[in-house]
Amino acid sequence: MAATEAPRLRAAAGTTAAWGASLGHTPSILAAAMALPGIAVAPAAHAEGKPEGASVSLRTLAYQDSQPGLRRIRAISPTFQVVTPLMDEDWWLNGAIEADSVSGATPRYHTAVSGASRMTERRTAGDVKVTRYLERLSLAGGLAGSTERDYKSIAGSFDLRWASDDQNTELSVSLGGSSDAINPVNEIVVDAKRTTQQLALGITKVASRTDVLQATLSYSASSGYHNDPYKVLDERPRQRRQTVMMLRWNHHFADGGSTLRSSYRATQDNWSVQSHTLGFEWVAPVSASVKLVPALRAYTQTAADFYAEASYDPTLGEPFPVGYDRNNPPRYISLDQRLSSFGALAFGLGFVWDADREWTFDGKAEVYEQRGRWAWDGNGSTGLAPFRAYSVQIGLTRRF
Amino acid sequence: MTPRGATRAAGVLAFALLLGGCAGPGGPAAWDKSFIAKPEMSMGWNALGTRADQQIYESKEAASGGYGVGGGGCGCN
Amino acid sequence: MPDRPSPQAPTLSRHGDAWLFQFSAMGCDCEVHVAGPVSEEHARNAAQAAILEVRRVEAKYSRYRPDSIVSRINAAAGQGTPVPVDDETAELLEYADRMYWASDGLFDVTSGVLSRAWDFRAGRLPTREALHTLRQCVGWTLAVLERAPGASHFMLLRRGMEIDLGGFGKEYAADRAARLLQERSVRHGFVNLGGDIRLLGPRPDGSPWQMAVRHPREENRPLATIALSDGALATSGDYERYFIGPNGERYCHVLNPHTGWPVRAWRSISVVAPLCLAAGSICTIAMLKGEDALPFLRRQASDFLAVDAQGVVHRREEGAAAA
Repeated sequence: MAATEAPRLRAAAGTTAAWGASLGHTPSILAAAMALPGIAVAPAAHAEGKPEGASVSLRTLAYQDSQPGLRRIRAISPTFQVVTPLMDEDWWLNGAIEADSVSGATPRYHTAVSGASRMTERRTAGDVKVTRYLERLSLAGGLAGSTERDYKSIAGSFDLRWASDDQNTELSVSLGGSSDAINPVNEIVVDAKRTTQQLALGITKVASRTDVLQATLSYSASSGYHNDPYKVLDERPRQRRQTVMMLRWNHHFADGGSTLRSSYRATQDNWSVQSHTLGFEWVAPVSASVKLVPALRAYTQTAADFYAEASYDPTLGEPFPVGYDRNNPPRYISLDQRLSSFGALAFGLGFVWDADREWTFDGKAEVYEQRGRWAWDGNGSTGLAPFRAYSVQIGLTRRF
Repeated sequence: MTPRGATRAAGVLAFALLLGGCAGPGGPAAWDKSFIAKPEMSMGWNALGTRADQQIYESKEAASGGYGVGGGGCGCN
Repeated sequence: MPDRPSPQAPTLSRHGDAWLFQFSAMGCDCEVHVAGPVSEEHARNAAQAAILEVRRVEAKYSRYRPDSIVSRINAAAGQGTPVPVDDETAELLEYADRMYWASDGLFDVTSGVLSRAWDFRAGRLPTREALHTLRQCVGWTLAVLERAPGASHFMLLRRGMEIDLGGFGKEYAADRAARLLQERSVRHGFVNLGGDIRLLGPRPDGSPWQMAVRHPREENRPLATIALSDGALATSGDYERYFIGPNGERYCHVLNPHTGWPVRAWRSISVVAPLCLAAGSICTIAMLKGEDALPFLRRQASDFLAVDAQGVVHRREEGAAAA
């Protein structure tokens, strides 16, 4: 025999993928082998499969928002999270605790700089979720709470996910409720309450070897105190009902190995606020262990029907809107920029670095800007200063 | 059709398509899911980052939610 | 299956950036390779589960353990009493049935008794009488499988008949072990049971693993290296158990069930397929088909590498290349 180099065979990356693509049918021996239970590939392929393993994460968010001439809110929010199995691999616990420091100025109405209320606040929040994984079903129950000087909240949730035989379809149902107590420092109300219930239904579908789709419909109903106690002339309905529809699509590009995560969300509520959000994240591997994630988000909303534009009555002066009658004030009114009509754009760049088998670093920097002029329907609110926010996140995860 | 009506129609259509899709055996074969198994293809990827992002957006916008239920409030009325 | 008992604990070592667990099972050297962002503890737990599964399959289908289902079936041959078998065994027997028909009767799990006529250690050829007697006890059509969920039965109709699942037991165990690793979220690595390999996913950086295929005649260099990211690779060869006869001809352990004599047309056949069970069955059937192997392999759409009796290498893409 001639002594030549051992010939190298190149099998296509994803040999199994090449099989299916070239044939369009499954040959009988392979089909017979696949018929045996317990041997074929069955990765978790939907919204949330079992975690890879136990892990601990530390993440910090640093945030600063502003409008021209006024730096507004600044926040630093470190979060610590633990994911761990309990007893055996079918019970998992996910717990997080967050300790935010928030300080700065917010306008008392619209984007008025003078008389802006200043504050410094510390907020602590925690949540815990226990999930039980069964053959094709998973059940989870969670509790969450947060506390700060003027606001306390406690919430509970329950999720159920069911996967089809071929693991290509998953249905999910989620229920949640929360109860909040508001005690503003200016004592404009004392111990105001608010309760919320939420229901969400979702379908996730693995549509092809490179595509996962998800559609979710959620409904939330909240009753109680919704006013912003630190804003002037703020009186909101005691009921708020919101419907949210979200469509998501994750697409993997086989050549190049990048993934595009897209989402569209539409909301509407009984305050007449409608919004649309379009989001894109492109996960692009740049080396063996580093991925860059540029992100784009476009948002628009219509104003609440009781939002009063920043156009002031010539007689009464600011903050009273045009035509305001002090003897017969409107039932509901708000001068809160967040209920106005505007469009917002955010650009972000993130990275994920899998340093080694145990450590991952990740981060993201994002700039966000909101302007009345950018509302998609052209009827953006006027008289409001553009709003901008910068945020930076850094995270560290250790796996076990 | 009003924008509101159009959105509603789009949502119902999306749901119907997906639900109809799950009636039949569509989707890749069990042994052909190496791409699907990548972490960034999961809907729940980068959960902590998404949570931080959503907290920022929800404190500055009127709409909220869509990513899951039950996080509790944050006092940003 | 094994002709010696499987001993001791797996050894663990670091291999590049992967964890390598080595152990003995099914009469050969086995490995579980776990790579990627997993901790040592997680890798160890996952590999332990995989290794236990391999041992479980080995023990359950061993011909040498008197309490195994295979031994019980063989002991009841010809007695007219169906032996109850569990769902896993029933599925494997049904698979054996499909392989029998897919190979036109060449892949026959009842043909194991023919090797009794041979003495591979002493290098002795069989006598005509011995082969004739044993051939009466060979024939998958002389076996009856009744399938009912949770209540299946199997029966060998003639005394002296035996089934031997060694023809695909290793490949099946490799797929089962890989599934367990997958369930523990191992996405990079592979299981290698004596050359029957099932992959979980590429190297952590996305590049494929380089699998060496053993040269059928030369120990020191591989026949070829195949780059694989997932799926399975199995090899069947005439070098695993053989002896050289008086005229220099090779007699290997892969016996044609009709004649009782070894196959001669191929030195080794390697097949790449999504499942190790499928890859192993395809290359075994191809060995048994002899001269008709290439059309069969091409119909399977498998990637294959076959070395014929003259040492000529045949591949899927084009004709032959000199080895």
